[in-house]
Amino acid sequence: MLRRRAVAGLLVLSGLLTLGYLGISSYIAEQLVYATPNPIVRTPASLGLRFANVIVPSRDDQISLRGWFIPGVLPDGRLTADRTIVVVHGTRTNRESPGDHLLELTGELARHGLAVLSFDMRGMGESPPAPLSMGNLEQRDVLGAIDFLRTGQLPFPELGRPRIVGGLGISMGAATLLLAAAREPTIQAVVSDSAYADAAGLLEREIPKRSVGGGRIPGVFAPSALVMGRILYGVDLFAARPVDSIASIAPRPLLLIHGAEDDYVPISNVQQLETAATAPAAARVSTWIVPKTRHAQAFKNTGSAYVTRVVGFFDAALGADRAVGLPA
Amino acid sequence: MKLLRAAQPVFVLISLAAILIALTAIARAISARAGFLVEREVVLLVWLAGLLAVAAVFAWVIRRSLRRDDSSLSLWFMILTAILLGSPLALMLLQHPSP
Repeated sequence: MLRRRAVAGLLVLSGLLTLGYLGISSYIAEQLVYATPNPIVRTPASLGLRFANVIVPSRDDQISLRGWFIPGVLPDGRLTADRTIVVVHGTRTNRESPGDHLLELTGELARHGLAVLSFDMRGMGESPPAPLSMGNLEQRDVLGAIDFLRTGQLPFPELGRPRIVGGLGISMGAATLLLAAAREPTIQAVVSDSAYADAAGLLEREIPKRSVGGGRIPGVFAPSALVMGRILYGVDLFAARPVDSIASIAPRPLLLIHGAEDDYVPISNVQQLETAATAPAAARVSTWIVPKTRHAQAFKNTGSAYVTRVVGFFDAALGADRAVGLPA
Repeated sequence: MKLLRAAQPVFVLISLAAILIALTAIARAISARAGFLVEREVVLLVWLAGLLAVAAVFAWVIRRSLRRDDSSLSLWFMILTAILLGSPLALMLLQHPSP
């Protein structure tokens, strides 16, 4: 009788613990895959730039993403779309992204003769609600942007289609861009600023730092929250691993930028990415570790040095502008 | 027959888990048509309510098994059930922190 009671007690304890664990993990998973969208406050017009609102369908699942097409401005003032850069923002922000001054960076690229296609990834900014997946699903958005540049109805038709396309991403945008560029050879040059090598590793470190309902989340819930994300929402956060595919970008030029004092995506991530990216003999990888800089703050901290380096990289990788151009 | 009866809690546990996952997948497929904002709440609700329902059904099955069968075979199956029930939690704890 005593043994039976002990077993019954074991069952009750095991059931309660598992039930509670699964319940809390499910709630954390729901928080992981959703973020309240941040509204767009400023547009490129606030920087004195011409632009057009565009709708970019994502590849495969055709989500209508909201974005801007900003023609590049040549030194003589003419507009061009000859060399176009797809700009990809980070997680839980939008194409304006005031936290890392993305709109200002976008404006600098345009002022240096590079047209820009900047858009809100799924579930963020003005784009439709969708689960967030740390780049695994969002790479379809970047691939959709490439399709849009190749075959979509572009604004400023007088500028023609881009001759050559590059990409610049920040944080999750950088990781997403790396995943997309590995699959899409149209992206001829990549600037990756503050990308992670592996999303699951990052989340497992970050989840315990977050608080829900006023209390910290114990780290033991992190792995199960990732699993629950897959079971409940079909979001495979384990699959967002740019480190596995970055080698496929070779021989296209790749510039890796990372803050030396990044405490969100530790510098070991860029070291892993660099090692993987330089594995092919034909790889053309350069790395810039920005001193005294935290996560995704390189442009904010270095300003013109950042612009000079990035524009110089794109000039070398994409060649000079060849368009006849259009008066501004 | 005795073996089947003793193993009932294990079968019930596996069946209930499979039903709950299938139910959640169906809820996701249906609610996704109304957009992700609806989907994320419906799926969580179905899952959490399902967990409670599964717990209630399972508790009832265990209680009945404990009352009607006191063989040692039944006891071993109960222990196996407890291990199975706790295994998701144990697996997660074992792999934390991840390498």
